[in-house]
Amino acid sequence: MTQVQLRAVRKEFGSFVALEHIDLNIASGELVALLGPSGCGKTTTLRMISGLDNPTNGEILFDGKDVSEVPVRDRNVGMVFQRYALFPHMNVEKNITFGLRVRNVSPEEVSERLEEILDIVQLTQFRHRFPAQLSGGQMQRVAIARTLITKPSVLMMDEPLANLDTNLRGEMRRFIRDLQQRFNITTIFVTHDQVEAMELSDRVAVLFDGRLEQFDTPDAIYHRPDKISVAKFMGASNIFECTVADGMIKAGFADLAAIGTQAFAQGERADAMVRSEAIRLLKEPQDGAANQVEGEIRTADFFGATVSYTVQVGEHELNVDEHSTEKLETGSRVFLQLPGDRIWLFPKRAN
Amino acid sequence: MATQDTALDTRSGRRSTAQRNALFLRIAELAPIVIVLFVLFGGALVLALLQSLGFAPWFGINTFPDFSYFGALWGSSAFWVSLGLTLYYGLVSTIIALIMAIVLSLALIKPFRGKTLYKYLYKLPLMIPYTVGIALAVLMLGNGGILSRLMALVGMIDNPGDFPQILKTHYGWGIIAVYVWKQVPFMTLAIYAVLLGIGRETEEAAAILGATRRQIFFSVTLPQILPGIVSSTLICFAFNVGAFEAPFILGGGYPDTLPVVAWRYFNDANYAFQLQGMATVVSIGIVAGVILFAYLAVYRRYERMRGRA
Repeated sequence: MTQVQLRAVRKEFGSFVALEHIDLNIASGELVALLGPSGCGKTTTLRMISGLDNPTNGEILFDGKDVSEVPVRDRNVGMVFQRYALFPHMNVEKNITFGLRVRNVSPEEVSERLEEILDIVQLTQFRHRFPAQLSGGQMQRVAIARTLITKPSVLMMDEPLANLDTNLRGEMRRFIRDLQQRFNITTIFVTHDQVEAMELSDRVAVLFDGRLEQFDTPDAIYHRPDKISVAKFMGASNIFECTVADGMIKAGFADLAAIGTQAFAQGERADAMVRSEAIRLLKEPQDGAANQVEGEIRTADFFGATVSYTVQVGEHELNVDEHSTEKLETGSRVFLQLPGDRIWLFPKRAN
Repeated sequence: MATQDTALDTRSGRRSTAQRNALFLRIAELAPIVIVLFVLFGGALVLALLQSLGFAPWFGINTFPDFSYFGALWGSSAFWVSLGLTLYYGLVSTIIALIMAIVLSLALIKPFRGKTLYKYLYKLPLMIPYTVGIALAVLMLGNGGILSRLMALVGMIDNPGDFPQILKTHYGWGIIAVYVWKQVPFMTLAIYAVLLGIGRETEEAAAILGATRRQIFFSVTLPQILPGIVSSTLICFAFNVGAFEAPFILGGGYPDTLPVVAWRYFNDANYAFQLQGMATVVSIGIVAGVILFAYLAVYRRYERMRGRA
């Protein structure tokens, strides 16, 4: 159990600035996702925490102690690489025990810990196989076992599920979560997949262009993003400009009741976001319903469990996700209800 | 439909035009290598074997099968000294070149200022012929060469003649220097390519797991660059064992290496000695073949042990 802190960390590669200025406090035993598009600096952050790269400026602290200058081999961290980085010339047993053997742990203890970890990762029957003879999921588990057997103070994973097929991803997500809770180990993983970040982590750090945009719980990142850029990255599509007045918002297509308007001055310009799954789609209007607007279905995209509709409302288009039990035709007249408590406002200054 | 027709034709033993064309194309593609391997190289090998066993009617000799040439050669203690020298020059230069090539490859993997230029520079000896390298060795390392004159100039030795004898000794430092100079870039090229292919992740993983640089090199890097090491050392060792110019010019004289011995037999006024020369050439082939086959067999066994077919 180790607390990890990044204080004003900056990383430059020649003239290229990979990380601008990162402050991050990761609590002991927490599972944190570093989320962002390719090239945003998430892997660089992970490499600096592990010691594979040194920060140009700033400090990295483990339990309050600066480890920025501690060599990688002395940091006692664990890293699971995206492509596993298993030693191809060693079988499963040798791969897993490598970390113990180079630390001169006694053969008896190596053997004892090997049996224990093989049982945990359910690889006992594959112990004599070489990496080339394993499936992607099995290689992933060897990589995790090889790291966990050394009892690292911090576990790091670089895109741990990127190379797995869809079915295996779900299985491995649960496996990683179970292991993390079982060992109660501070875990940081890198991903560009929003769903993966939200499903696995306690908190998500969203990075864009080497800057930390938001560090919060998955719920807050999804429903209450600090910036439009974060909202868009998290898949929000209904973002529109509005003016706050009399506890309402005046959008181009309707006046809507919304919570959180008290934080804004009368007449202040703002951006509003409403998630497509929060909007209710009705074939007939509901008498007296608040925030109800009329529109016409322009497109209907079938996604299996859901149908994504684009509805023309005045000059605006709104996206609505509905269960696919009943699919409405394009051109249909429909009525949308936008719940006031699901409308999230961004001050213009934040964007 | 076309696939079905082809299958039917094959089943009934007839070949379609498309199949015939494909077969002709395949033969045409393989022809150059088949001609070189089987006709030129294979034919020469058979002829050499026949001559070494007494078949040379064009010299008026045909005592085939006659093992006396091999008997005379292998029965002489000079042959074994020559064989020892041949293997010594071949092996030592291969090992030295390998060590330097590994160090150079590992250095080239890391980023450093001027790397692009250096990557061109280190390959220069590949483009320069061996004979030029030999000439350079004579100019640089000989008594009276540039190095000896420089040492005399700075007062380290009284006159260039006092310079320690590097060339024309049975230690073969001149021969080894030329082989190493020429072969380090070649081996580096092969090992560097393998290193690029394996990437740095396994080394980084090992470092994170607590391995020292030494442990990383011997346990992680070295086993992974073995394919590059084996292929390049195999080629260089085979060349070194069979090469003639460097030991002839830079060697210590009698007893010579086996290729030089063979050359002397071929150059003798008495044509009959060519058969003895052929026995020497065939002996070099047998020795090199056995060593390289054993080397490859050991490597294949190692590869199988680590799960590769």
